[in-house]
Amino acid sequence: MVLEIKNITKNFGGISALTDVSFQLKEGEIHGLIGPNGAGKTTMFNLITNMFPPTTGEIIFSNETITGIKPHKITDKGICRTFQNIRLFSQMTTLENVMVGAHSRSKAGVFSGVFRPKSQRTEERKIREKAIELLDLVGLSEFHDVVSENLSYGQQRRLEIARALASDPKLLLLDEPAAGMNETETASLFDLIKQVQVRGISVLIIEHDMPLVMKLCDHITVLNFGKKLAEGTPEEIQNNPAVIEAYLGSEEDDEIA
Amino acid sequence: MLAELLNPYYLQIGSFILINIILAISIYVTLSSGQLSLGSAGFMGIGAYTSALVTIHFDLPIIVGVIVASLVAGIFGIIVGLPSLRLSGVYLAIATLGFGEVMRVFFVNWESVTKGSVGLSGIPHIGRELLNLFRDAGLDPSSIGLRNNQFVYLLVLILLLLITIFIIWFFVRQNNSRVGRAFAAIKMDEKAAEAMGINITYYKVLSFTQGAIVAGFAGSLFAHVLAYISPADFAYHRAVEILIFAVFGGSEVILGAIFGATFMTLLPEALRVISEYRYMIYGLILIFMMAFRPQGIITENMVQWLKKKFSSKRGKSHGSRN
Repeated sequence: MVLEIKNITKNFGGISALTDVSFQLKEGEIHGLIGPNGAGKTTMFNLITNMFPPTTGEIIFSNETITGIKPHKITDKGICRTFQNIRLFSQMTTLENVMVGAHSRSKAGVFSGVFRPKSQRTEERKIREKAIELLDLVGLSEFHDVVSENLSYGQQRRLEIARALASDPKLLLLDEPAAGMNETETASLFDLIKQVQVRGISVLIIEHDMPLVMKLCDHITVLNFGKKLAEGTPEEIQNNPAVIEAYLGSEEDDEIA
Repeated sequence: MLAELLNPYYLQIGSFILINIILAISIYVTLSSGQLSLGSAGFMGIGAYTSALVTIHFDLPIIVGVIVASLVAGIFGIIVGLPSLRLSGVYLAIATLGFGEVMRVFFVNWESVTKGSVGLSGIPHIGRELLNLFRDAGLDPSSIGLRNNQFVYLLVLILLLLITIFIIWFFVRQNNSRVGRAFAAIKMDEKAAEAMGINITYYKVLSFTQGAIVAGFAGSLFAHVLAYISPADFAYHRAVEILIFAVFGGSEVILGAIFGATFMTLLPEALRVISEYRYMIYGLILIFMMAFRPQGIITENMVQWLKKKFSSKRGKSHGSRN
């Protein structure tokens, strides 16, 4: 198991964002996390990356408890994420953004950065090569020197994925990567995520684009009002009456509508 | 000929410009990780007093004083920087401004050591020391046709110029490295930087401390160039002045800090002819500046544009088009 979520509960004041949620992610799989708005999906991401701690429960990554570890250490251990509302370093160029992503996999400090011994130059060259390679992968090879805020929406989303991949993650968390994308862009996103999987990286993806989720995921966990509603393969989820009810309303509701 | 050109007054202004550039860099360095610190005057004071006291009382060479001063300022930087992590924006600015005032009051009241508001005089002068050094080596200023005080101020200017160039070089190189990228990332989006594996606590304290060290360093140079310091030199008005250097010149790029310090030091001198109106003009320029170009004279875009223009002149063939 790459990731085990064990009985996670998160309360914000008196409001319960997540209640006793557990699921597991197998090595190399693409796992979908879906549910209506406000179901607690992004909260789950924030808990995995420890932006804030869970109220109770435990998160285990590669057989190691990661609850209570600082966010930058989590990246170090091999989990990296993208954000629902794009959070690029907007005034940096595309290439620089990806190079920042490689931070935890490099170690030059102040003095080697200034006086540049051979080890630093080699490291810097490797970071640059890796960044260029990742920009090729996400299809932004023509945009190295473009300041990232000038990229289109879809390009920014793909740049976020490249930046996250630069940290050599074992697990990639994607928060609504297809939001705001048109069909062509979504199709190329599908290919991209499949290629990420081929590289041996497990993916946990939050997404509202159901055709994409059903095509892409090996496993799906459905959240509703902070609780786990269902879990299974895309087929099982599609035929699960509780899920259909959560998404479409029950049959009685339909008749009224 | 040379002797007429080298007016000690101009040489001294040149030295002040260089010290102010170093001070402007100190605020720029802290700003490069997104922290607005107005503590530069306080750290400058710590540096100035430390170096002055060490050289006066222990008869140590100036260079030892300068190193000790920078280290002490750096330690204070860590002490102030750590609790300031919780603060950002104007709150950090106010807190650091408060720190500067605390230091000033401290210099005023610790009379047994700092001589209070009277200030410390008789601080070893860099120029004089250098002059003695050259004399010992058998070089007399008159042999190259200079008067003693011309030679002294010239030596100071040259030394400060070399130091300033080194500091600029240091921070330009740092900017284009892993550390510089981490600073910039934190400045642009702290949460995202953290999620990308950057230890924001470490890098924020690092940049804050670097700013403190540079300010302390500038303070010790200030003490050994003027040979006299008093608490009033490091008051709140100095903090604001340093801030203006960076804001006026443009705080995004190091070139902005350099330009701002140079321009803002020269302006009052250039306006000396209209003595009583000069600070009015100084103030007006700032007001117009904030109204029409709040990002400062020199911006990142401008530097990029200049770079592009320069490189396209050199080789049009491999210019990539986006």
